[in-house]
Amino acid sequence: MVVNLPTLVTLALVLAYPISYAAYLSFHRVALADLRRGVFPFVGFENYRRIFADPLFLLSLKNTLLFTAVSVGAEIVLAVAIALLISERSVWTGRATRVLILLPYAVPPIANGQIWAFLYSFDFGFLNRILFALGIIETPINWTGNPQTALLALTIPYIWRTLPFAILLIHAALEGIAPEVYEAAAIDGATAWQRFWHVTLPLLRPIIVVILVLRTSFAFTVFEEVLAITQGGPGDATWVAAWYSYRRSFAPPFDIGIGSASAYVLALVIGLLAVGYVKLIYRRIE
Amino acid sequence: MRPSRPVRIALHFANLLAIAFFLLPIATAAIGSLQSEKTLRADTRAVLPQEWTLDNFRVFLSRGAQSSASIYEQATYLPDNVKKIHYALGNSTVIAVSVTLLTLIFASLSAFTVARLHLRWLEWLMNVNVFARFVPIIVLMIPLYVTFRRLDLLNSVWGVIIAETGFLLPYGVLILAPYFAALPQELDEAARIDGCSRFTAFLRVTMPLSTPALASYGAIVFIIAWNDLLTPLILNNRAEFMTLPVVIASLVGDVHVFFSLMMAICLVAMAPSVILVLLLQKFVVRGLAAGAVKG
Repeated sequence: MVVNLPTLVTLALVLAYPISYAAYLSFHRVALADLRRGVFPFVGFENYRRIFADPLFLLSLKNTLLFTAVSVGAEIVLAVAIALLISERSVWTGRATRVLILLPYAVPPIANGQIWAFLYSFDFGFLNRILFALGIIETPINWTGNPQTALLALTIPYIWRTLPFAILLIHAALEGIAPEVYEAAAIDGATAWQRFWHVTLPLLRPIIVVILVLRTSFAFTVFEEVLAITQGGPGDATWVAAWYSYRRSFAPPFDIGIGSASAYVLALVIGLLAVGYVKLIYRRIE
Repeated sequence: MRPSRPVRIALHFANLLAIAFFLLPIATAAIGSLQSEKTLRADTRAVLPQEWTLDNFRVFLSRGAQSSASIYEQATYLPDNVKKIHYALGNSTVIAVSVTLLTLIFASLSAFTVARLHLRWLEWLMNVNVFARFVPIIVLMIPLYVTFRRLDLLNSVWGVIIAETGFLLPYGVLILAPYFAALPQELDEAARIDGCSRFTAFLRVTMPLSTPALASYGAIVFIIAWNDLLTPLILNNRAEFMTLPVVIASLVGDVHVFFSLMMAICLVAMAPSVILVLLLQKFVVRGLAAGAVKG
């Protein structure tokens, strides 16, 4: 079909071709000098061997896993709580919350990162200013300067920015639950907690799985907040996978072969999640 | 069932907490941007400044004139990227608008065939589109950089438009195809009996009926394209071709740009997409839900 041509061409040009070309690059030496010459010597699995021998790459993977587990876990709990909160229509403040929920979705991730860099700033930051004003702290807290907590500090801006998506999906699922279900549970004498645990939560399970898979695969590629807030520091404490690929490719040593190999490892992990999503979830929910 | 009074008070409190959480970064950016660098440095414990000023926003009007530097009493020097930030505002607009229009056209054509023609390869195309959403941009950007470098498409607005259009097309097919499929087929059959071709039936019947879905997808694409950092960051590094997110990224760790000016730039960079979301909230919500779950 002729009308599918633009889609097919762009899909091929900016998706299929780069994916296969990235695989090609990952098996070749593509350092700055090779890039200038335009000839990339074949090196087999050398790039992969080098990244798995690089402690920084392994640390980046570990940090990515930790970051993803904390942010996605917290996000789902918060999203269920806030979605339940805004579906209680007898509380008028819920209307204000409902209007604000989508706001973070519109904020450019890099601007979000800069704003949180400001919030977290040791000398000038707003978080310390607010805590001073409330009389909670006496001396400023160094939010992102501590290697033990810097990665956790990065999860909060990320959760803030990506929470709308999860809340919206859970809210939509809640609206879809028939009121009779709750009435029946109430007649049976179930408490509010029992209604939530035995009625609401099981009915939300499919959408929670959708959010879990989508958010996990997106959190694996966190980049902007790292760039704006910590640039991987202090030390190497907040190096994550996408940051590793970016830095290896576009900062010294400008090694695009290494960058491609590390990005490919990330893509394979996410690819497995995607295959599971297409096969198990996307088809079933109709 | 109306909750009891203590429960309602607890729920009000929870709502206030949620509101405070959602507004915290926005309020911080606003308060930070409305004061001079001097005020912000002078008192490191004050939440609200002694003096308010709009000076930081003037950087968008100065067009590189040195006089803009006098705004900042400590900073006599401003990086080139900041002086040329009006270029970035223009590039961001041109790129986001072009990507939105191009993806709307291509995706609706594709989605229509997926919805109306029951061919096996189109079902396969649909699965590819779901799969494509998962591919990390960083994986695509490294080879695209090598390729665009060879094609001499680095440092151009077109390179970014082509790349982003490709990245966002699959999402459009995902949102639009189920919507088109749900429209009664009798409508375009009636149009075809009246002498329309398949294409004019699509143009005159399906498209007007699909305004809500097109608005959903258009708004989402505009926001993603406007906010995208990695594509223009890797492809364009000259101030004339940067977008606002790239300028913001280029100033990370720059000692000449203090938080107060930075917050003003961030607020301008988020304004169009925030306004769009507030105006088209209903459509954005539907689009996000439709993209995640079939039907």
